[in-house]
Amino acid sequence: MKTRILLVGGFEETRFLAHSLLRKGYRVTVINEDRDQCESLAAIKGLQVFQGDGSKPYVLEDANAANTDIAIALSEFDDANLVICELCKKQFHVGKTVALISDPEKTEFFRMMGVDSVVCATTTISSIIEQQALMNDLNTVMPLGSHVQVAQLIVPADAPSVGRKLWEIELPKAVIVGCIVRGEQSMIPRGDTRIMKDDRLILIVSDDDRESAFRALAGELV
Amino acid sequence: MKLFEKHQEKRHKNKEYTIIVGCGRLGASLAGRLSDKGSNVLVIDENKDSFRKLPPDFGGMVVQGDATEISVLKRAEISKATSVIAVTNHDNTNVMIAQLAKELFHIDNVIARLYDPDRECVYKELKINTICPVVLSSSKVDQLLYQA
Repeated sequence: MKTRILLVGGFEETRFLAHSLLRKGYRVTVINEDRDQCESLAAIKGLQVFQGDGSKPYVLEDANAANTDIAIALSEFDDANLVICELCKKQFHVGKTVALISDPEKTEFFRMMGVDSVVCATTTISSIIEQQALMNDLNTVMPLGSHVQVAQLIVPADAPSVGRKLWEIELPKAVIVGCIVRGEQSMIPRGDTRIMKDDRLILIVSDDDRESAFRALAGELV
Repeated sequence: MKLFEKHQEKRHKNKEYTIIVGCGRLGASLAGRLSDKGSNVLVIDENKDSFRKLPPDFGGMVVQGDATEISVLKRAEISKATSVIAVTNHDNTNVMIAQLAKELFHIDNVIARLYDPDRECVYKELKINTICPVVLSSSKVDQLLYQA
């Protein structure tokens, strides 16, 4: 049985997401309020489109929310996204709900209200911009939520860690060097693995320890 | 001194403190009535012009801002409130404010207006009181029809 995903509200990101999910073989349904946007979405092959306000129970029912595995609320309004997720969860017993929000202050509140996954566009985008602008050597590959991220770091030639074994480097507590990519080779490091220049390190690191991990491995921030 | 204490000092030492979100016809008239009864009342609305709907002798406070923002609720000192009434024109907004009041600030008495009675079932378990104009009107019509 294919995983069924319901996308509620939103247009640009919904269209993009629908394309990508369909390509991966999911069954995707979209609810959108705007007629023109619905028509444009309906042009996507294999995508099921319903016109209506997704925060209304009967619209969700029409779109067969009860038989959905994952519901993603992408409207531009935080309050609508909360209601969509709550209806999906409580009335239609959808397994997993995801909400896009714009006010970062309410991330925890959404989780408290039973939304399984909360994506804050504002913090995500601003942190990406910050990374791109300030720190080219340490990139977050993937934020994992709960203040943890996967980051990658290319070791500069003059870094304090070059030539030293992993256990000799004073790393902050909340960081794991999960993988070292050296040329074409990748290896899972041990304590006695030596770090070389141009190594690409894949780190699992807490948001708080990210910068101190960077300093220990690559030297002072420029 | 904080807004609420200053206000409370001026008025009677009434422990009741009601926050009304949305200064439409219902919000404004509720605010007027509660303040007449001597209750401490604060009205929140995004639009400053909405406060003109308040009765001229309204003795409560107003805060201009988006009440779905936690900072605005804090500015209204929501943690001191005994009841919160969400009567904006949007169901989803009322629902979110009611849940913020109930779950984040643990307000006992939370009332939300819902135009769409379909959504009500979801909020029953959260112990949020809902008033639904459609349901109220139709039961009143029933009454008028069949009592005669």
